[in-house]
Amino acid sequence: MMLQMQGLAGPDRPAATAWPLSRRIGLGLLALLAAFALLGPLLVDADPARQDLSASLAPIGSDFLLGADHYGRSLLARLAHGARLSFGMALLTMLSAAVPGLLLGVLAAWRGGVAERALVALSDIVLALPGLLLVLILLAFAPGHFLPLYLGLSLALWVEFFRVARTTTARLLVEPRIEAARLLGFGTPYILRHQVLPEIAPLLLTLAAFAMGTAILAISTLSAISVGLQPPTPELGSMIVELLPYYAEAPLAVLMPGLLIFLLVLGLQLTARGGTVR
Amino acid sequence: MTRLLLGRLIQAVLVALVVGGLCFALVRVLPGDAAFRIAADRYGPDALTGQAAEAVRRELGLDRPWPELLLRWFGDLAQGRLGNSLVSGEPVSEELAGQLGPSLWLAACALALSLLIGLPLGLASGLRAGSGLDRLALVGAVALRALPPFVLGLVLMLVFSIRLEWLPPAGYGTWREMALPSLTLALGLAAVSSRVARDAVAEVGATAYYRFARLKGLPAGAVVLRHGLRNAGIPVVTYLGLQAVYLIEGVVVVESLFAYPGIGHALVHAVIARDVPMVQGAALVMGLMFVLLNLGVDLLCRLLDPRLGAAR
Amino acid sequence: MTAALHIEDLTIRTGDRVLVSGFSAAVGRGAPLTLLGESGSGKSLVAQAIMGTLPPGVAAQGRILLDGTDLLRLGPAARRALWGRRIGLLPQEPWTALDPTMRAEGQLAEVHRYVHGRRDAGRAAAAGLGEVGLADAARHYPFQMSGGMCQRLALAVAHAAGTPLLLADEPSKGLDGALRADLVARLRREVEAGRLLLTITHDVGLARALGGTACVMLDGRAVESGPTARLLDAPAHAYTRALIAADPAAWPARPPGEPGPPVIAGTGLSKAFGRRRLFADLTVEIRAGEILALAGPSGSGKTTLGNILVGTERPDRGAVRRAPGAAPVRFQKLYQDPPAAFVPHQTMGQALDHLARRHALDPARIAHLLARLKLPANLRKQRPGELSGGELQRFALARVLLLDPVFLFADEATSRLDPLNQREVAEILREASARDGLAVLFVTHDADLAGKIADRSIALR
Repeated sequence: MMLQMQGLAGPDRPAATAWPLSRRIGLGLLALLAAFALLGPLLVDADPARQDLSASLAPIGSDFLLGADHYGRSLLARLAHGARLSFGMALLTMLSAAVPGLLLGVLAAWRGGVAERALVALSDIVLALPGLLLVLILLAFAPGHFLPLYLGLSLALWVEFFRVARTTTARLLVEPRIEAARLLGFGTPYILRHQVLPEIAPLLLTLAAFAMGTAILAISTLSAISVGLQPPTPELGSMIVELLPYYAEAPLAVLMPGLLIFLLVLGLQLTARGGTVR
Repeated sequence: MTRLLLGRLIQAVLVALVVGGLCFALVRVLPGDAAFRIAADRYGPDALTGQAAEAVRRELGLDRPWPELLLRWFGDLAQGRLGNSLVSGEPVSEELAGQLGPSLWLAACALALSLLIGLPLGLASGLRAGSGLDRLALVGAVALRALPPFVLGLVLMLVFSIRLEWLPPAGYGTWREMALPSLTLALGLAAVSSRVARDAVAEVGATAYYRFARLKGLPAGAVVLRHGLRNAGIPVVTYLGLQAVYLIEGVVVVESLFAYPGIGHALVHAVIARDVPMVQGAALVMGLMFVLLNLGVDLLCRLLDPRLGAAR
Repeated sequence: MTAALHIEDLTIRTGDRVLVSGFSAAVGRGAPLTLLGESGSGKSLVAQAIMGTLPPGVAAQGRILLDGTDLLRLGPAARRALWGRRIGLLPQEPWTALDPTMRAEGQLAEVHRYVHGRRDAGRAAAAGLGEVGLADAARHYPFQMSGGMCQRLALAVAHAAGTPLLLADEPSKGLDGALRADLVARLRREVEAGRLLLTITHDVGLARALGGTACVMLDGRAVESGPTARLLDAPAHAYTRALIAADPAAWPARPPGEPGPPVIAGTGLSKAFGRRRLFADLTVEIRAGEILALAGPSGSGKTTLGNILVGTERPDRGAVRRAPGAAPVRFQKLYQDPPAAFVPHQTMGQALDHLARRHALDPARIAHLLARLKLPANLRKQRPGELSGGELQRFALARVLLLDPVFLFADEATSRLDPLNQREVAEILREASARDGLAVLFVTHDADLAGKIADRSIALR
């Protein structure tokens, strides 16, 4: 039943906004976590590696605000450093994936031809294998090291930026408005600046937040299964596994790093939800 | 149809090239004298002799120029010769054959369970978009997706094995060992598929053809069955293709977490021990499983959507 | 004549906005009723009120009596029970209203099986398909059928339902001449079989062909009603006259002019997509001040030919020759879907400013042209999404005319506009052609329109 609704649908439908509630909650959550990661170590003694075996598994509220782990290291300091590490690595990985991904995506759609086919083939090669398997094989080169983890994640994540940038640009290029702009005498720089970039930019925040969420999940997961970063690095995933044997004595110490990962990823995913993804 | 099969065949070849190429590079860059290190791993430091190292060197062909070695490496791969594990000394193919069954079972159970949870929930939320159930399902899905599978698995383990002592925390054999690993995976999968199903149902409900079906006077049940499910199923199945990534990655993680004797577990162990033939074999099998899953999804899409078959 | 559907003093509102007020009409057996009006006139709301599908938050008052029962007094379940049994629908654009994953026979058979509870639904469906000439298409999916075939399948579904009342919603939308005649014949057969027919349309020609009574709607009110033939031959209300005049069939013929020298010519043009050949060895020439209509079914390559002439696509073979001395920007194009030709986040003022800066245009001239095209200055602050299709298409015309074009390719440029807007845009084109010697290639699938706007037409197959 396609009875027309033009007169009604217009004013009644709320305008789509770039800042829906979920995105604002997500950014707020991220701001709180950033404050914790940056300010937390300033409030208490900040060394996440200093051991004090007499304070092993100290409870919350003792000398250590959030308690201590089995070596008597301050959990607050370790959690704050872990959050910094996760967030920093995710940011670095995302940037290394986003910049080439975007540029190459726009280039491929714009130039077409051999360049596009080569880039698409490259992305197909990366996509042939689930990303985590790729990272795992790279980790075999240097288990527990930062570099293969970073390279592998960036390699797996750039494809998404490339694909979105390419399909968005390609879709735009066949739009009548681009053809019209050319016929009206506007050149490529004008079209890129006024027609292509403004349409890709809003997608960027969504993709970036998703990529960072994926990176944080992958880093903590790989560290938890002992192939990512290794103790004593205060990595959230490996902290959980390290503390697991002491669950009966200090359940909160095990759960807190998990909660922190959850909140980080939740904040990022809520930020991403402003875009087109479910 | 041939194009579809050809596309997946190319993907399978790409999997082999990527895995094989990376593992070849891995052998080349192993620090120190790889042959000595591997021989020491294999025979123990006491039995280490120049002869043993030489045997390893010859077995891995470490004494030839690398382009020739690479060709031979791929040649072996093409013939299915995966070599012997550097840790156990057993043929990789035999080890993998023993681990394939458990991994397939886990993947199948997780997928089935996720559909059992996700589809009815998605259908119910989609038919009543905006209701309390829909919102609750959304919150649950968002929360589950922000939880890494290993944390979810740990929480389930802590609750069901440690606190309640209902289910064993590790092992393989009966449904009891299978329950927690597959539930961990299934919850993560269902968090996505329930939302995809919900959106698909809501979207189909707003189409002109769905409204026309209602206005034809068909009973409500017939409208859902005849015009709703199949059309809503198309995006759900298409999305299953994307979920294959999550499933394969999840199998690796969950097997390691629950000490489940599958290929994912073996892969992680091989990576830690730098058992290159085993890394290659396990990654290859997981990669091919991924390709097969994708192929299955392609075929199912074709079955559901008549437009795909005639598109060209 | 005993009327069987009575609409009495129907008022539809949402919140405190009145959308339809005090509407009354009647449909009798053998006397179909046609509601004529443009989008936004409220005619669709009347149909939705009868069907019981008003959107949430929109309420109807008054009486709608179908064989003595007041539909507005019935609960939602009782109204749903009428669908397919007392009230049937012929949906607009049936190719979107048919289930894309179900074969033709299934979509018809389910009416017999689930609505009428017939055991021999398959056989009944086969007979029904045969009746509308779709016997060979029984196993086809909608995407394998043409628009006309989809329309006939929808008619077969409406016929199979056999409801006393049939609502036809813009049934001629998207159909060309021959298919429309077939549609009219089939709808008239339903009327002769004793069914009540209520049609909503903006197509004056369809109303005339259906006969019966007609009612013209404007801004939620019936401005004029009466026997269709009399109403259309002697309209009393100014809006009715405008609506009739906007029908291309009623336009005055274009006075023959003296075309100037050739502006653009394509010789020996061929184009194919993959294995499908659009046209081969085609030669076309357009002169200054001439409007050439290009007709043909969809997929016949009309747009491609225009694109080749305007220079956005290349022919496989052949050459395009342009009048010497004319700058490339003087060859322009108008698009079918007006919003698609504008940048969504730019205001109309920004778009014009950028153009003015690029080509050093005189602002006074822009203001003058906008006034001539009846585009008030306050629209410059609006974005494309906030303007109507007619306004946008006139903006597109203004943008193009500022560059002193010698050739304009109008690609179905009026097909998405309401009749009055279509008339206006066509007028501007005719004027520019006559006054400034603009050569126009006007692509359309509407034979009436082609005949009236153009000096000559060619058709692609």
